[in-house]
Amino acid sequence: MIFLIEYNRGKGIIVTFRDFDDSQRREAEDSRLGIELDLNRKGRKGIDHEVVLLEAASRDALLRTHGRYFKDLDDLLKSASQQGDGAGVSREPEFGAEAGR
Amino acid sequence: MIKDAFSRTQIDRLGDRLKGGSHTESDLRLLDDYRRSFGEAYETVVRTLRQRGEVPTGRLAKSTVSIAEKLRRESIRLSQMQDIAGCRIVVGNVVEQEQLVASLKADFPGASLIDRRDHPSHGYRAVHVIAEISGKPVEIQVRTSLQHMWANLSEKSSDVLDPTIKYGGGPDEWRNRLGKLSESVAAYEKFEKIHAVAVAAYEKFEKTHAVAVALNEVFEKSHSKAVSSHEVFEKATAELLEHHLPEHEVEEIRGKLEDSRLRIEGLSGKLEDSRLGRETSSKELVALWNVNADLLTGAITWLDKLKGQKQ
Repeated sequence: MIFLIEYNRGKGIIVTFRDFDDSQRREAEDSRLGIELDLNRKGRKGIDHEVVLLEAASRDALLRTHGRYFKDLDDLLKSASQQGDGAGVSREPEFGAEAGR
Repeated sequence: MIKDAFSRTQIDRLGDRLKGGSHTESDLRLLDDYRRSFGEAYETVVRTLRQRGEVPTGRLAKSTVSIAEKLRRESIRLSQMQDIAGCRIVVGNVVEQEQLVASLKADFPGASLIDRRDHPSHGYRAVHVIAEISGKPVEIQVRTSLQHMWANLSEKSSDVLDPTIKYGGGPDEWRNRLGKLSESVAAYEKFEKIHAVAVAAYEKFEKTHAVAVALNEVFEKSHSKAVSSHEVFEKATAELLEHHLPEHEVEEIRGKLEDSRLRIEGLSGKLEDSRLGRETSSKELVALWNVNADLLTGAITWLDKLKGQKQ
């Protein structure tokens, strides 16, 4: 599957999310360009969002490799903490406290 | 219509214009055409990876904002950029990472390798393999799950806290903590790699030891049967000799008895060798086990030390 993501970096959130069949690659590419052209026309600072096309076996596979788009910093800290504990890598408890800044 | 060929000058001039904040529509369309020209190379790489059972997430198109930032940040021309198209594979651990990278080098002869594990980029650790298909580079990012966890934290904190964190900037405290976490992951993965080698050696030797033990058991049984047969033969011989047999028959029987005794001695010698072999094998197995235990103790000590440093 092909996934089109428009991501607002500063806010850390997805603005547009669309999926396409593998056979719709041209359409996905055109949609991606369309969003960038639109942002460029509207934005005073030009394009300030990441607009990417990703291709993955499933949405779950996409979440695993590109979780940054879907999870907030607290979520990532929590899963890092769990992963670190599991692997034996020591965790920084203060990390979580700072995430809310 | 997608252009298949772009002059280097044309692309580099486009790159120069993209460094500025605002873009013209024609520049965005030209960049899009350039991006799409990597499609076939990208397809070849992803297809090869899927055929060998990997589950990559492909990035068909690097975003314009990422391209422009990279051009501003680094002294690189747009035509030199190697990650216009690419994909990412996250593997379980550093041993799998080593194996996958070795396979990729075989799958894509001439591919270049950027190993950021020993020399991380602002804490970022991973291996990037740049395959080149018909003159088009395609970047394959290979991360372990721990390296990926770190990269996600670094990127997300750059997004929402400070864009410079990812490149070694941002608040000191946050940067130091990310740095320490990266070091911690590196140390853990270094141990993981050594430990995997030790475990593999142990498992290999364990199989050799199992063969030695099995051989010893076979010898024990053979020896036991031979001893029983010899005893029966010895008893039968004693009985026969009581019947005043002719001298040549007595000699023949005594000869056979001597042969049997010698075979028993031979088997006893082999059995002893087998026992010694099994004992040696056992000792070596214990030694290898101890190496593993020492590695584990070393890792725990290191982690305790790290915890102490952080407090």
